[in-house]
Order: sequence, then structure tokens, then C-alpha cells
Amino acid sequence: MLTRLFTLVLLALIALPLSAATTLKIATLAPDGTSWMKQMRSAAKQIEKETEGRVKLRFYPGGVMGNDNSVLRKIRVGQLHGGAITGGGLSSVYPDAQVYTLPFQFRDLQEVDAVRRVMDPLIIEGLHKAGYVSFGLSEGGFAYLLANTPVQTTDDMHNLKIWIPEGDEINARMFKALGIAPIPLPMTDVMTGLQTGLIDTIASSPIGAIALQWHTRVKYLTEVPLAYLYATLVITEKSLARLEDADRSVVTRTLQETFSKLDAQNRQDNRQALDALQGQGIEFVEPSLSQRQEWEKHANTMLQALSDKGLFDAAMLKQMQQLIQAARSTSANL
Amino acid sequence: MAYRPLLSLSILLLVVWLSGCVSMATDRLANNLSQAMLNQTDPEIVRSGAPAYLLLLDSLIAQSPDDQGLLFAGARLYGAYAGGLVSDNQRQQKLTEKALDYARRGLCPETPELCQALGAPFEKFSLALAEVDEEEIEGIYLYATSWAGWIQAHSEAWSAVADLPKAEAMLQWVTAKDPAYDNGRAQLYLGVIGSQVPPTLGGRPEVGRQHFENAITYSHSRDLMAKVEYARHYARLVFDKPLHDRLLKEVLEADPVADGLTLSNVMAQQMAAKLLQDDYF
Repeated sequence: MLTRLFTLVLLALIALPLSAATTLKIATLAPDGTSWMKQMRSAAKQIEKETEGRVKLRFYPGGVMGNDNSVLRKIRVGQLHGGAITGGGLSSVYPDAQVYTLPFQFRDLQEVDAVRRVMDPLIIEGLHKAGYVSFGLSEGGFAYLLANTPVQTTDDMHNLKIWIPEGDEINARMFKALGIAPIPLPMTDVMTGLQTGLIDTIASSPIGAIALQWHTRVKYLTEVPLAYLYATLVITEKSLARLEDADRSVVTRTLQETFSKLDAQNRQDNRQALDALQGQGIEFVEPSLSQRQEWEKHANTMLQALSDKGLFDAAMLKQMQQLIQAARSTSANL
Repeated sequence: MAYRPLLSLSILLLVVWLSGCVSMATDRLANNLSQAMLNQTDPEIVRSGAPAYLLLLDSLIAQSPDDQGLLFAGARLYGAYAGGLVSDNQRQQKLTEKALDYARRGLCPETPELCQALGAPFEKFSLALAEVDEEEIEGIYLYATSWAGWIQAHSEAWSAVADLPKAEAMLQWVTAKDPAYDNGRAQLYLGVIGSQVPPTLGGRPEVGRQHFENAITYSHSRDLMAKVEYARHYARLVFDKPLHDRLLKEVLEADPVADGLTLSNVMAQQMAAKLLQDDYF
């Protein structure tokens, strides 16, 4: 009996640190060695150190776990605990996560900042209600139209083969309403599509266009932000709830700090990348203000119809637009 | 999300500097020195000895500023030293700048149209490259590898990263003319460049994989760096642990002594040991 007790005590001693250690499995599209992954690995190291090895982060970089949808599916079945997901990708778990990415809303980054100050917490709260904890949003930058002929008017778009991401119903409808048939393709096929001529026009952030080498296949950039892109790291509430409170605080604080750094870094990167595109001989064209306003009006009519159908919450869009208007009138008065 | 390709083309440049054509008077000295360094089993000796040779080459180039052989030797050595033996990024930036300048001065008198198009849009650059005569293969290769080294040292700058497709196109031009060029090192560069973008984002790492396989074949498996880069870039990108570990173990078990490759192979073994210890998978 004594021996048995002794064994149990020993087992308990051995088992304790083991069962207390939690490994959070996280997927991301960013390949290893990118600045994004370097920051994430450094955060993981800090978390492991501060929690004395009780919490580890294991990364699956370079999209080995698939695109946003398959990562979310793997999170649902428990194969992963979290992932870095784009705003568009998150709309399948929380429709309003895509509010920033809706077409023709922002004109500049001041407007973005004014909106994000108020609405980032709302998006984070919405994700939390859906069971996902976000550690802050990281800017992906404005997506611009990149084409082989200058695009300054709707007419200029009519003969173009415009790519839209597969499953992007909002942009599909927006282009169709303008009398244009866009070509939906998965991200995997964009470069091949550009090479074979299946598509000749894309929308991308400057850093995306350079990193994926799409910039070698286009000649013009239309200087109108089409959409504001962002990504965020989410981990399920269920897996974080397993952590001790103090450990959870370490995870939260460290990842929040990392995301805040990434957010600032990406803004600088996109500025630089935009200059680099110009340096590569890509010509920037600017549509007239009236044309921009016409596109904005068109987008808003279509968005109204989509929110009536329940694709996202009209109140969130309205709040964002009010904040944009307020920022616009402030800057006009300066 | 920020995506900045990691280029670790660094040590590849070491062997590029297998110099042959340094001008007459200095020919034997340069060749002997190059060979002595490349066949060295202790990287530290080369690390501390190479700067003297860099100074020597600078002075020779100052005397004969248009000597293509000397300029190419300068591009090779500065690129190799910066990529393989220097870890301070600011120094790497300056040294690769010099390598690229020497490569440009060596190549451009022969290919003025291409050189005018280096900063042009990609399509125009590609057309100019297609017109270059096959006999410029050494200059194109040296320019491409010096450029790749320069891009790596400046990979924090998007303007540099945006140039990568042009350096890649030049290397593709080289392998189209001679698939085995430089004992497969041109293939090795293309393997690294081709394994940067994951398939989920439209990358085609299988193309990179084929280049790595070619690099191993053309070097008759003597170039251990080919296997290290294959593991580090391709196997890690596609998360293939068995391939990763097999390649690195093969590197550790191999005899590093191979004419012209010893130094690079010793460094490859050091890297392989580190990579196997990483908790990547």
C-alpha cells in the first residue's frame, strides 16, 4: 500500500508539469523568415519564458494548413487552436469582420485611423462573441487596381479581365452592377492567370503585389483605395480558457504588443512598397473626384442592398461611414 | 499581412567566386588565392584572410579600371565575402553594393541595351535580356548573383525586393543556355528563389524543388550547400520533415573535402547541424 501511494505521489509529481504545459497550434500564410514570422516567433519565445514553459506556441507557417477557410475549419475540429486570418476570411465566423474591406469606403489613411480607434474594439468584441479571441488588428494596407491599361473611368474597365477572389460575392456584385464580368479565381491561380492572360487586372496592396511578384505583369496603378485590408491573429476562447489566469495575461499582453508593432510596421512597408512600384516603372493614374464619388455612390447602393439581405450588419457599416464623414469634414476644415 | 521574402542566398556566393579569368599578370596569384580559400577547411582563416585579398583586388582594379577579368573577380569576391563571411547587415549592404558595381562595370560595356533596361519595367527588361548574346553568360551570371546578394542584404527595402524577378530572370536565362552552369550553382539560386512563396499564395515550390534536384545532380552531389538550402527553403516551406531531416543528415555524414567546394561544404555542415536542432516542425 505504501509503495503504491509512493508511486502515485511520484506520478503526480512527474505528471504535474507535463499536464500544465499547453501548446497552442497556430497557422499562418506568412512563410518562415518573413518579418511577420520573426515577430511571432519572438513573441512565442517571450511567452514560453515568462510562463516558465507552461505555454508554447507552435506555428504552421507558409500556408501549410491551407487558406483562411481551411484554417478555420481545422480550428473548429480542434486540429488547430488559432490562426492569422484576413478580415475577409473571418466574415464566415463573424460577418461584420469584413466591414473595413467593403469597397470604396475610405479615401485615405487618416480616415482609417479615425474609424479604427472606435471600431477595432467592436470587431474584437464581435469575434469574441463568436468564440475567437483577437489580439489586435494588423494593417494590410489599401488594395489598389493594377492593370495593363490606365483605368480612370468605369468605361476604361469594360474590356479588362478583372480578377476577384473566389467567393467574394460583394465585389462580384459590385462589378456586375457596373456592367463588368469579373473573373473569380483562387489566390493560388492569380500569377498563372496573369501569365496566361486569363486575367489582366488585379486588386492588391502594394506589399502583396511585390511579394507575390504580380507587379511584373502590370503597368498602371489606379490611385484610389478599393478596400482596406487587415489581418488578425485569433485563438479560440476555449483553448485560452484552459490556461491559468496569469499565463493567459502573459499571452494576451505579448501578442497584443506584437500586433501593435506589426500594425505600425505594415503601414511603413506599404508606403515604401508603393514607392517601389513607381520605381519599377509602374505608372500611377488618378481618376477625377467626380468619378471617385460616382464609384463610392455605386458601391453604397449595392452595399445597402446586401445589408438588407443580411450579409452584414447595416448598423456597423453606418457607424463606419459616419466616422469617415466626420474625419472628412474635419480635414476639409483644416 | 506583411510578407517579405527571405532570401538566404548568402553562402551560395562563396563558390561563385571560383575565379578563372583574372588578367594576365595577376592570373596565377588570383587563382591560387581563390583556390586556397575555397579549399580551406577552417572558415575562420578565410574570414580573417579575405580582406587582404579584397584590398589587393581593389588596387588592381584601380590600376586597370576597365579590365573585365579583374572586375568580375572583384564582384565575385566582394559578393562572397559579404554573403558568406560577414554577419553585420550594414557591412553586407556596403560590400554587396561594391560587388554589384564591379559586376555592372564588367558587364555593361558588352551589353549596353540590357544595362539601360535594368531599371525599366519588367517586360521591357525581359525583351532586352532575350537579345543578349550567349557568350555573355559569365557576365550575366555574375550580375545576377551579385544582384541577388545585394537584394538579400537590402531585403528590408521593398524597392530591392521588387528587383528580385529581374535577377531571377537573368538566372533563368543562364540555365536556359547552360543548365549545368557553375556546377549547378545557377540552379541552386533558382531553387532558393523558387521556394519563397507558398502554394496557398500562388507560389510553385515544385519548380524550386526541381532546381534543387538539378543543382545536386549537376554538382554530382558534391555541393553540400545544395542540400542545406533544399532543406531550409523547400522542405520547410512545404513542411516536409522527413525530406528536411534526410537531406541534412546526408550533409553531416558526407566528406566535406571536394575541390573548390571544401570551404562551402564545411559551412554547409555547420548550418545543417544548427537546422537539425531547430524546433521548426
